[in-house]
Amino acid sequence: MKKLLSALALLSCATLAQAEVAVIVNAGASAAPSQADVANIFLGKDKSLKGVDQAAWNPTKEKFYAGVANKNESQLKSYWSGLVFTGKGQPLPTVADDAAVVAKVGAEADAIGYVDAAAVTDKVKVLFKLP
Amino acid sequence: MSKRHLLGLAVCLASLPALAVEQGEYQFNGFGTVGITHMGGESDLDYGMQGQTNDGWRGDQLSKLAVQLRYGITDTLSVTGQLGTKPVQDSWEAGPGNLYLAWEASDNLTLRGGRLGTPIYMYSETLNVGFSYPWLRLPEEVYSLVQLTSHDGGDVLYNRSTDIGTLSFQVAGGQAIDREQYALDEMHDIDYRDVFAANLALSTDNFGTFRVGYAEADLKITVDDTVAFGPASVNFPFVTYDGNKGKFSSIGHQYDDGTWLSAAEAVKLSIENNEEAATNAFYIMGGRRFGDYLAHVTYGQLDDPSGRQVSMTYGLNYSFSPTVTLKGEYKRVDTSQGEDALGVFQGNAQQTLNNAFGQSYGTPDADIFSVGVDFIF
Repeated sequence: MKKLLSALALLSCATLAQAEVAVIVNAGASAAPSQADVANIFLGKDKSLKGVDQAAWNPTKEKFYAGVANKNESQLKSYWSGLVFTGKGQPLPTVADDAAVVAKVGAEADAIGYVDAAAVTDKVKVLFKLP
Repeated sequence: MSKRHLLGLAVCLASLPALAVEQGEYQFNGFGTVGITHMGGESDLDYGMQGQTNDGWRGDQLSKLAVQLRYGITDTLSVTGQLGTKPVQDSWEAGPGNLYLAWEASDNLTLRGGRLGTPIYMYSETLNVGFSYPWLRLPEEVYSLVQLTSHDGGDVLYNRSTDIGTLSFQVAGGQAIDREQYALDEMHDIDYRDVFAANLALSTDNFGTFRVGYAEADLKITVDDTVAFGPASVNFPFVTYDGNKGKFSSIGHQYDDGTWLSAAEAVKLSIENNEEAATNAFYIMGGRRFGDYLAHVTYGQLDDPSGRQVSMTYGLNYSFSPTVTLKGEYKRVDTSQGEDALGVFQGNAQQTLNNAFGQSYGTPDADIFSVGVDFIF
């Protein structure tokens, strides 16, 4: 039974790891930032849109930051520590999970976020997907 | 404040953020380094920015701890304070660090006033945040030249997006009175008046960040000490600045694509009416990540009228967790091109006087080993 559970857990992880990440904006948004623009928004360099980050370091967040900014969790924390302790920047506000990102981006015209592609609804528009 | 008390305070404050973050008004962060370093090869002279590196295994050059609390008074006005401890020559100093008000006039413009980090070097404002750079020991050839780290006054931060990247401009002004300067293996009082610093950085999407900077200040300091002069002991003045203007300019570049990283910085220091202080220095670093490991190598060089110092640093870092990095470094330092070349080695007053009367330093060299842990919270 334990082996079966372990196998299921592994399968589940593998499924998560293979899930696509969708970068989303409000359904009515006219802005269409490129992948490089999105990286700059989530690194606090570009404030043309309000980035909605995810609080926990989950597979979706890992894939997003690796895909758009070439950073893992440690590198991202190092980047922000350089800004936080100089007073030159603060990490973006976060929400709990995919559903909260979709809700916030769906409600705010200038918000942008990233979610597991399966969580996308018609309240938001997909800019691009990361495989 | 003792280290124990400060650690206790840090732990106490660390228990606050859960509540504070929920209110959305406080942001609490901290950083620290615990490291030891040892110098072999040169027994008569100490080495480093404050001379704590010598032939003993010492933990007080690299180690430090600080906490930062930021409170939002309004949506655009905040106050930030730091409290920390770090070594200053042979003792520990603890107390308040930077303390300032910041007003975000717009998304692109921030005005700040209070005690602020002075933007001298590329890594200036995070000098103490080892977690934000690859080394345990910043390249001393460059980072020992100006000891001013903060000033009382104001600064303006401006940034804007352009087609080639994000452009950031900073201009700062103020003064730093009654600070400490390490010279001749002792601490001396120094005043920096009319501090002015400005820098321009361009952060590109694919080619890293380019930075140019300039800083100047009027210096007031007397470096004197009692030395044996023949059979007598006399108080000998070695350096006196009374308003001499010091000028420091720099150009730098950083690159990090997640796997490969590099950093380079070239600087020039001059002090009015003191040709011996004219210094050119640079370093260039390259590194590559292998999973949780980062291997890096750095060449550093310092040239002043007395000679040249060069160094090679080989480092290996291990990302123990997303907020903790274990670092190990070996640094080989050589001086050349002059019998008085000291580089970043530090002679005391007596050695300096003896050198003036013909006793050579003998082109010192050293092997420096350092191990430590950088962390943030």
